[in-house]
Amino acid sequence: MFICGYHFPASLGNKISHEQVVERVTSEAGDLSDVSYAILISENRDGVKQEDLKVEKGSFLFTALADYYKKSDIEGEYKMIYYTNKYQMSEVSKAVDGAATAAVCKKLDDMLLYRVKVA
Amino acid sequence: MAELRQIAFYGKGGIGKSTTSQNTLAAMAHYFGKKILIVGCDPKADSTRLILHEKAQCTIMQLASEAGTVEDLELEDVCKPGAAEFDPDNTDITEGFIMCAESGGPEPGVGCAGRGVITAINFLEEEGAYDQDLDFVSYDVLGDVVCGGFAMPIREGKAQEIYIVMSGEMMAMYAANNISKGILKYANTGGVRLAGLICNARMTDREYDLAKHLAEQIGTQLIHFVPRSNHVQRAELRRMTVVEFADKTDQAFEYKELARKIIDNDLKVIPKPLEMDDLEALLMEFGLEEEVEADAIGKKASA
Repeated sequence: MFICGYHFPASLGNKISHEQVVERVTSEAGDLSDVSYAILISENRDGVKQEDLKVEKGSFLFTALADYYKKSDIEGEYKMIYYTNKYQMSEVSKAVDGAATAAVCKKLDDMLLYRVKVA
Repeated sequence: MAELRQIAFYGKGGIGKSTTSQNTLAAMAHYFGKKILIVGCDPKADSTRLILHEKAQCTIMQLASEAGTVEDLELEDVCKPGAAEFDPDNTDITEGFIMCAESGGPEPGVGCAGRGVITAINFLEEEGAYDQDLDFVSYDVLGDVVCGGFAMPIREGKAQEIYIVMSGEMMAMYAANNISKGILKYANTGGVRLAGLICNARMTDREYDLAKHLAEQIGTQLIHFVPRSNHVQRAELRRMTVVEFADKTDQAFEYKELARKIIDNDLKVIPKPLEMDDLEALLMEFGLEEEVEADAIGKKASA
């Protein structure tokens, strides 16, 4: 099973709890004290930028995006987020971050392509 | 050498199964150096065209018909190396390669399409196509209805892990569930397992949620959500995979990620297909179907 890009062994079954995902992603992300912001931009199918979204620091979504950005081998200042990952990050964030990321997660659930920049 | 893995891509006709499988296998060869044999099991014979840069490969059934019998064929006649970077002799970009064979089928309206699949796989095995230095054999199989012939790769224990290509549309979900029933039938005798659903997205509302819930209920995973992209069509016009055509594009990276997951995947299950009522309930829950009163069945919309 793969969630946020991480492999969870088959022995854990096909329903991984949000707590397990948070624990794994937080552990893999390590120290993020040098990361001060995470910005998402959305694009339509023609590559036209739609809007900027700022992600609340300290949230799971922030951690997952920072981890994704640091480990991605995709080139560029803003890195494309796999659709699977954005939906999975949103699902977990809605459950564990609550109102702090609700508005951003609602956007992430749409069909647009998102790119992320953290610094 | 790692053990040979035999995988299969099943899915409803027209779902983008051949496009998805070729792009994913191309990514496995291109980015991860995997050595692959594709056995196309769709009578359309379009499972290898993007790897070969050809319109359609001559099929084993076609060539056998011209030669007289399948025994008159040589392996080299039916199993061709991929074009450019997918040729085993070309190691400029990758050590990986892709060999290609197509089973073919009968003329439309005549005979059994599944017979071509059986003939092709037996011939390739007997002629030693699987003995080469391969990491993966991949079958690309039509699966609206899993008739005995199309079930052959799973029935005979050839394909061990099945990936179902589907979308959030009702018939694609129905086919995915139906294919799961076929896998279940042979899971205990042949050892075949369901390894995941691949959503080749139509970009319909709540498609990810729907595909994920179907996967969960069947007992498997939604291994990857592949978005729709014009790059795929542009590449196909050149008879290429998007991985080869533009390997730094967003879409190529999506296939790379799917390839990585398939290579690392260990979640292979005996599926638990849904009853038709449960499938319809799922579609209603996610808004693809609206619940109707019993007396509204068969009634036209009011003007």
